[in-house]
Order: sequence, then structure tokens, then C-alpha cells
Amino acid sequence: MNKSFLDYFLKIRVPIILFVALASLTFTYYISRAERDGVGYQPEQPIPYSHKLHAGTMGIDCQYCHTGASKSRHAMVPPVNTCMNCHTVARKNRPEIIRLTQYYNEGKLMPWKRIHKVPDYAYFNHSVHVNKGIECQTCHGNIQEMDVVKQANSWTMNNCISCHRTAPVKLANIPGIKKGPENCFACHR
Amino acid sequence: MANEPNESKYWKNLREYHNDPSVGDDKAREFAKGVTEDFDVDTLSPMSRKQFLGALAASAAFAAAGCSDYRDKGEIVPYNRKPEEITLGKPNFYASTCTGCAEACGILIKTREGRPIKIDGNPDHPVNQGKICAKGQASILNLYDPERLKEPMLVNSGILSKSSWKEVNTKIIAALTAAVNQKKEIALVTHTVTSPSAKRLLTEFVAKYPTAKIYSYELFNDLNRRSAWTKSNGGSFPLIQWDKAKVILAIESDFLGYDGNMPEQTRMFVSKRDVMKGKNFHASQSFGWNRLYSADATMHSTAMNADYRLRIRPDQQLEFVLSLINEFKPTAQLSKYSLSAFAKKNGLDEAVVKQLASDLSANKGAAIVHAGSTMPESVHIAVNMLNELLGNSALYRKDQSSVEHLELAKKEAWESLVANMNAGKVGVVVHFDTNPVYHLASDLGYTEGLKKVETIVTLAELTNESAGVSGFVLPINHPFESWGDHKTRTGLMSLQQPVISPLYDTHQKEAILLSWTNGNANENKDALYHAYIMNRWEKEVYPALKLKVDFKSFWYSALHDGVITYSEPAQSIAGFRNDAVKAIGLPAVSNDFVLYLHDNYFVGDGRFSNNGWLQEMPHPASKIAWDNYVAISVATAKELGAEEGTMVEVAVGGRSMKLPVHVQPGLADKFVAVMLGYGRSVSGSVGTGVGFNANQLMSKSSKLSQWLYSDVKVSTTSEKYLLASTQEHHSLDDTFLKDIQKKRDIVQEGTLIQYIDDPKFIEKEHHENTIVPRVKYDGVKWAMAIDLNKCTGCGVCTLSCNVENNIPVVGKEQVMKGREMTWIRIDRYFSGSSDAPSVANQPMMCQHCDNAPCENVCPVVATTHSPDGLNQMAYNRCVGTKYCSNNCPYKVRRFNFLDFRNEFNSEYQYQQPLNMMHNPEVTVRSRGVMEKCTFCVQRIMETRQHAIEDGVEFTGAGVTTACQEACPAEAIVFGNVNDKNSTIYKYRHHEVGYRVLEEINVGPNVTYIAKLRNTVEV
Repeated sequence: MNKSFLDYFLKIRVPIILFVALASLTFTYYISRAERDGVGYQPEQPIPYSHKLHAGTMGIDCQYCHTGASKSRHAMVPPVNTCMNCHTVARKNRPEIIRLTQYYNEGKLMPWKRIHKVPDYAYFNHSVHVNKGIECQTCHGNIQEMDVVKQANSWTMNNCISCHRTAPVKLANIPGIKKGPENCFACHR
Repeated sequence: MANEPNESKYWKNLREYHNDPSVGDDKAREFAKGVTEDFDVDTLSPMSRKQFLGALAASAAFAAAGCSDYRDKGEIVPYNRKPEEITLGKPNFYASTCTGCAEACGILIKTREGRPIKIDGNPDHPVNQGKICAKGQASILNLYDPERLKEPMLVNSGILSKSSWKEVNTKIIAALTAAVNQKKEIALVTHTVTSPSAKRLLTEFVAKYPTAKIYSYELFNDLNRRSAWTKSNGGSFPLIQWDKAKVILAIESDFLGYDGNMPEQTRMFVSKRDVMKGKNFHASQSFGWNRLYSADATMHSTAMNADYRLRIRPDQQLEFVLSLINEFKPTAQLSKYSLSAFAKKNGLDEAVVKQLASDLSANKGAAIVHAGSTMPESVHIAVNMLNELLGNSALYRKDQSSVEHLELAKKEAWESLVANMNAGKVGVVVHFDTNPVYHLASDLGYTEGLKKVETIVTLAELTNESAGVSGFVLPINHPFESWGDHKTRTGLMSLQQPVISPLYDTHQKEAILLSWTNGNANENKDALYHAYIMNRWEKEVYPALKLKVDFKSFWYSALHDGVITYSEPAQSIAGFRNDAVKAIGLPAVSNDFVLYLHDNYFVGDGRFSNNGWLQEMPHPASKIAWDNYVAISVATAKELGAEEGTMVEVAVGGRSMKLPVHVQPGLADKFVAVMLGYGRSVSGSVGTGVGFNANQLMSKSSKLSQWLYSDVKVSTTSEKYLLASTQEHHSLDDTFLKDIQKKRDIVQEGTLIQYIDDPKFIEKEHHENTIVPRVKYDGVKWAMAIDLNKCTGCGVCTLSCNVENNIPVVGKEQVMKGREMTWIRIDRYFSGSSDAPSVANQPMMCQHCDNAPCENVCPVVATTHSPDGLNQMAYNRCVGTKYCSNNCPYKVRRFNFLDFRNEFNSEYQYQQPLNMMHNPEVTVRSRGVMEKCTFCVQRIMETRQHAIEDGVEFTGAGVTTACQEACPAEAIVFGNVNDKNSTIYKYRHHEVGYRVLEEINVGPNVTYIAKLRNTVEV
């Protein structure tokens, strides 16, 4: 039987095209999953500190520990002495608190695993967002329900910009909120 | 016999000898048979070398990506106990005192998370009032210099080896005690002592070790001025009210540069050059402005800014001043000195000289004649007399006078020290943060004398020539790690406090001396000296002030402010003693070359030699960086047959050296000028071997002064040397046309009278026609203004910008290629003749054009415009096509051709702890990225952030750029031009404000105030 052009097309061309298309689709899907942007990242921390207990159940204000949030570009992971404000008294016989006290007494540094990271070339300032009345949860998710903190939203330029463009709609609960700046220097400098 | 041996002369083999036909065939081939023909591709591996390498790289990349946890983002390590005053991301400011020179200016140190990152003047300090010089700005690099001495060292069997503080102190104390017991001298060599506590400590040291003597010196000092004043008036030389002077005659005096307190004098001088304050000069026609005459031979800052310049060689200055005196008060003694004859003899413009004389006599009591510190004593006496004669002593400050704690050692003291050394009568020499081996005149024989001294101790931050010949080398703290108190004037005292713990195992020099004085080798803590100062303040300073607060509150408030002021009577100023005229020697004018050694603007007496930022700053007049040179005039160059870069031999009194020539327009003829402070042979890796050590031309005895020598022989050699000049870099036009700045109105200038007659005299070309609609800026719109009348071209703005914006040092080779990275440069334009050019300085940086040509051509939209009028640069988007730079009419964009932090001096700027110096608010740019002035967007954003935090509307008030904050003349104004009440609005709409190259319709946002020279038609 003579090989026709159709044979060649169906047997060789089509499978190759399908394979390439499928492979690129899979690859693109794989690398652009939200997980690749860090969503769902939930590392184990040196001390099993629970935001659900402290911020949720007990209702401690975020800024009791993250004191920089309204004052500075960094929200600040609290120093060990902030923990000791309560834990010199509270629950001081629990094994993890004993470990925490050890850190404090020995002057050892606490190596918290970093969960949220804005790239080096982008500038983000907590205080301008917090002082506008934007809730921590808008970006960080429902922290007060997390025993172990995980990243809730992806930290991409797309995500920043979408909120900056639609702030009056997206954050309608904040009266008088305006669009965020969209110029380069706002974040890149 | 077909194959007869061939008859050619040479043959390689027998086949050739016999004319074998195959030989010709072989010769025609490039390669021998079999090398190429039998090459069968099919038999080889199907994978090419390139494919193999590609696969190797890909598999390595996949392996690396697969094995690493891509989600891991590292750790955040907070403080264990956070200091209360620190908020991460917010700077803290500490007031302190700069000890870079004897002026002891008040400084404000900005720290972030405990690291100093920026230095500016302390606004509360009454002398420098918030401004410091370029050296002070850049001194932060010395703190983080990776090459600082890190631990005490001593010479052990001929080799300098590491030691401990306890060991060196024990040995030194033993040596000091032994010297006292053997009645041998202990010589302590220090720079100017500005600290009363340190002065007391030195006295106590001498009391403990009675054979000790203190020698203080400065390479650049005003001993001549002081001794002249002592002879002519008595007491110490008074301070001058530069802001009251209507006419200033500077006699080889660079009071706007290296002579005296530059920030203070610049501020006072430009206060009478303010177009905004000049409301009266329309109405009254009276000159509110000062007029500056500079009589000089070199092109220094003051000469460049003078309204009138008189080219006078330093050895002729005495005759000049004497003829001026004779003009006003003719005496028989001086009758042979006539001003017009002097002018004629020296080729001066007679009309200008006459104008000077009439200005001086018309402004009696409101003029000042000032002689440079390098001038001989007799010139100073004559100047004192002239000032007295004209009633100019009214401009001496009566409310304040300078304070000297310890007189500089005289020539005789040094000679006797060296004699004692050679006689073996000196047991210990301590170099108290000094480098006399480099600084002292070679014919003094100090270095040879040191060889006979048993114990030599050098205290230094960085290795130096004196450390190289010492038995003990002790590392000391940087001033930012030290305590201190300083008093340079009556009625004020400033404090110095550490802002960072010592980075290495160092101690501050006073603490070391204190432990020697206490005789306790173990007690060597900086805290000891802290307590010592506090104790002195509690016992001496505090009770005298009779305050109502307790000492602790007083001390902490003094530390907070950095300076205390109180009423203290100034020294009374004595009148001129007429008999002092006899002390004026007769002018000795030589017909041969005159050598003038002078201060430089950036490396001081060599102590800043390892500071790359300062080395890379081009000299204001010559625009040469990374070198010193011998400057000669155009005519002298012709006479010598030398051109730019020719090595010439300068010989004076048996001392000689070779230096490269720089042909400097405006220099006096038969005159050579060389900057000191270069040519360090032992320094860090940046400063070693930069330039030439002209100190070796100095002599302990000179007819004129330490810096001035006559009868100098200059001869041309055939050698050449490359000087790195930024003069023609980033030029605003393709060709170097004469007077281009005038033809294209880049620099606009006129005279004050012209302005008074016609306030709108300057050229303004506005284009309102455009095919694209203009963007409206409704909110804040940023703009800058630079007053060319105030700008002296000192370069402090550039240094401040370097520190603020993390700008790397690129090195001499890269500067020669035009790759310097400074965002703000100072263009220097000459006009007129090459003998007497007039100079215009123009700071040039990104103009943030409304129709920016750079933005249109960027293929990746990395540079765009912001709604508040900034020309933005997104580094992470830039791919380095350099189109923007091509299209920029102002040539202000800088491209990272290399990773200069890596390339310069073998990764020098990547070494620890230099990374701690970076401003965390500004991205550190990588290779292949374009950058430029951002109008300090990080500072704009910071002010905006504060407005949001406080819940107020952001009007743009309160933003200062780094250059603006640093400018000693306050020539830079920045702000929101849409705010009609702002200063920038007034500048932008000023009559003589113009924008550079406005005719090309790019809409620049930097307004220049045209330079108005206070000259008259003569």
C-alpha cells in the first residue's frame, strides 16, 4: 500500500502536534500553579506557636506582636522578649514554653521559617496599607484560624496590581479608599 | 634522466631535491592527506560538543531545581531582646562630631538597624549648621573599610605578628617606664587636638611619664597666619564675618574650598548671592551682593567663583599687597611699590586693578582681604595691615573666636626631636593616629631618626607608612565607634558618641592612652574613656553652666543635641601694631619656576586615600580623578614642550621627582602647582600608589613657606602618563565646540547690572506646540531648581548622592573609559581666553523631562513616567539596550557595563562588612542595567508614608533630596511645583530661571537660575 500524505499526517504530524501541545500545557499548568507562587506553603516552625489560639481564641491584636505594621515598612516578627511579656507567668511549665524560655535566657536567636516574601526588587510597605484601614487578612488570609501559618494568597505583581486597580470595589468596606498607585516607582526603586 | 637533481638552493628533503612531482601536490594542500578526506561523520557520535554541553547544563539545572526546596524562603531571625529605640525599617539619628580634620563639624549620623548608613551635618551645630564637606559625607566608607586593622600587632623577631591587647599594653607600659627611668624622651606625635578631655588626658600622660613631650602637626596648617597675627596684632587670628563683606579680596586663599571651615564660609559667602533675597536691588540699585576678587595663580574653588580674577604668582603677592597699601596710605618706605606699575609688569588688566582699589576704598569697613594659609608670614602681616588701614577690622567677629588647645609644634621643636633621636636620647615614639613618616619634610630626617628609637608605637585605623616602621601597630576605633568632646570655638562644645560597637578588636586611641596613663595593661576599655569624659563634664563643664537640671539630664540632652552653647567671652581683638611693618620682608621675586604645593579637595592629607568614593571625585577645576599631577599654564606648557600627560621632572633644592603634566587654563605662567596628599606607598589596596607623593618636594626650611618654593627647575622627559579626566565625558553635544555652553544656552549668564536693567534679559524659548496632548499633572509634581549663583562646584552633592543611592566605585581604568557611575555630575565650562578663562559650574542630573526622549525608545518599557512627574526606572525590567542613554540629550544615564562591585580592585566592594553600608531603601543594581537620578524617590515615598500614617494630605512639603540636604550653599531646591506657596514654585517662575535645552521641547523639570556675575563694564 502506498503511503499517502494523509497517512503521514495522521500517523506522524498529528501525534507530534498533540504531544507538544499537551506537554506545553501540562508544563505551563505545573509551573503556574498557585503553589509555585508559595500559596499553601506551611513550614514547620521552631516553636509550634498557634495564631489560632493567640489571635483567634484569645483575640490578641495583631499589632501587639507585629508592632511595625502601622509604623514601618516591616510588620516585624516579634522578638523573643515580646513572648516573655506573658510567658514569664502564663503556662510556664509547658514543654514548649520551657524551650522558649531557654531561648530567651540564653539570648539565642529564634530562626522562624519565612513564609511571605516580596522579591528583592519590589518594595512593599506595611504601614501605608495598614493605616489606610486594610485588614491584615486581605493579604495574609484568615490567620486567626490557622494553627500553623500558611501562605493564603500568591505574592505576584498581578495580585498587587489587581487590588491597586480595583481597591474601591474590592475594599468597599473602607470608606473613601482610592485606587492604589500603579506607577513603577511605587514598588520598584 | 628524467629526475635531475633540482638546482634550487634550499631543500627540505630528498624528494624535493630530486624534483619528485608529489612534492608540489603536497605543498598545495593545506592539510595532509587523510586528515580531512577520510572523515566520516556517520562513524562518529551523533551528539556534537555543543549538544553535549547543553545537555550537561540542562541536567545540572534540572537536578538543582529538583533537589532544592523551591518553596523554602529562608528564615526571619528577630532580635532576642529588641532595643526599644529600634523599629525595623525606620532610621535612627544620632548627633556626633566629625573628626576628619581639625574643624570638628557637628554631624548627624543616620543608622538603620544599628548600622550607620548616611552622614549629614548637624543642623543644631552653630558653626556648620547642618552641612559638612565631601570628606565628611564619604567618611562612612572608612568605617566599613574591609582593610581596617583588626587586631593589635607587634614585631616579633622581625615579623609583624598578631598579638593581644594585654601583651602589647604590658610591653608598651614597660617601655614607657623604662624610658622615664633612663631619662630618655617619650615623643607623642598627634594631629591638632580639638578635644578638651583629650588635652587633659595628654597632660596627665605627661605627668605620669615626665620625660614625655607632645608634638602636634598638620600637613596643611595656618601657622603662618597665626604667627603673623601674633606679630602684628597679638592674640589669635579672629574669625571673619564673610556674610557681611561686600568686597572680598582673596590672596591665593581658597576659602570656598580647602582653607578653613568650608561649609560655614560657603554658607556665609553665598548668603550675599541670593536672587531671592535681592528684592531690594531692583529698587535701590544698591548692590546687596558681594563682589569677589581672587588674586591667585592656581585654579581653585574660589578662583573659579571669582567675579574678577587677577593672575598673580604667589611669590609676587607680597608686592601686590604692598602696592595696595601704598595706594591707600602712601609712605616713603613703600613708595617704590605702585599698583599701576605692578599691573603693567605682571600683565594684569589695569582697569580691574583700579576697580579693585576703588571698590576697597568705597567699602571701607565692609570689605575683607584674606590671604591663604599657604602664603608666607610677611604676606599675612601685610594683609593684616591693609585690613586695618581700610577699617575692615570691623568684619572681625567679636562674639566668637577660635580656640586652640595645643599649639602646633614649631620647626625648631621637630629639629631638636630628630637631633635627640639621632643621639639615642629618645626611648619611645608614639604616633597617635598620625603618619609623620609620610607627612614630614624628608630633609628633616625623621624617618632616619626613628631607626635609632627603641620602641615605636603607631595607633592607626588603616595601615600607613609610619606603621610600616613601627614595632607596635595598634588598631583604633573609627570616629563613629568612639566617644569624644570637641571645642573649636568659644561658647560651644560638641559631643561625639559611638553609633555602632567596634567592628573589630579595636579601642579608641584615647582609651589606649588612658590605660597607659593608669599603668594598667588589662584596663583597656572604651567605657573607661566614656567615664573619663563624663567625669570631666560633671566636674568642670556642668557646674560652670549653673543649670537648674541635674547632671544626668543635662548630659543626655547634650548627647541628644550633639552640641551645647553657652555664653563665653570671645578673645578681644587687638589693633595693628605699626612696628610690625618692619617684620615684612622684602619681596623676593624669582625669575625661575615657582612651585606651589597645596591641599586637594577630597583625600585630605592622605588620610582618606583608601576611600574610593573620594579618590573618584574629579577635581573641581581639572576634572581629573584618581591622581595628582603638576598643573601648568598653556604658555608654560608651550615653553616646556609638554602636553597633557607628559612626565616632567620638578627639581627644587636637591629634591626632585617626576610628575605628569596637566595643562590647566587660567594658571599663572612660570608656575607649577602640585596637590599633596597623594602617592601613599603604604595604605589599603585602594589608596596605595594612587598619584605621586609630592611631600618629598617639601623642605623644612623655605624662603617663602612650607608649601611655596622659588628657583624650581622643571624639565620635560619623554615619558607619558595617562590621567583619568572626566572633563569630556557625558558631553551635552557631539563635538567639543568652543563656548558650546553659550551657543546652545546650556549655561546662561549675565551680569548683575544687566539683570537690574532688564530683569528678563535671558533667553527663554518656549514651545507650546505639540502633536500629542500634554499630560496634565493635577496632584503633586516634582521639580528641582539649582541656583548657579550659589553653586561653587564643591562636589558635596555628588558624594552625598553616592552614599544615599549605593553608587559603586569603578576605579581609574573604568573612569578613563567614561564609565563613572555618579548620578549627579558637575559640568565645568570655561569661556574666554585660555589665560584668563571665566568658569561656570553646572550640576547636571536627570532632568525628569515631561516628554522624556528616553522613555519613547525603551523596547521593554523599563523607563516610564509617573503621575507626579518622575521619570521612573524599573531595574528588574531593564535589559540593557542602552537606547535610552543614546537618546538622552543631557547624558545623565549611567550603564552598569560591569558589576563594578565585583570588578573594582578584585571584589573589594563585595567584601564584608562593606555590604552593611548600603542604604536598604535603594536597590543595588546589577550588571547590564541602566540607572540614573531618581530625585531620591525613596525619600519622597518616606514622606508620603508619614503623611498616610498621620492621615494628612500629602502636599509634597518636607521632601529633601540627598544632594539638596548636603549642599553647603543651599543651591539646590526641590519640591512640589504645583504648590504655589512652595519655594520651588518661586524658583521655577523666576525671571532668570531657565531650563537647559528647552528648545528641543523635552520639558525638563530642573530649573537653573542664570549665573549673574557681579562685574561692571570697565
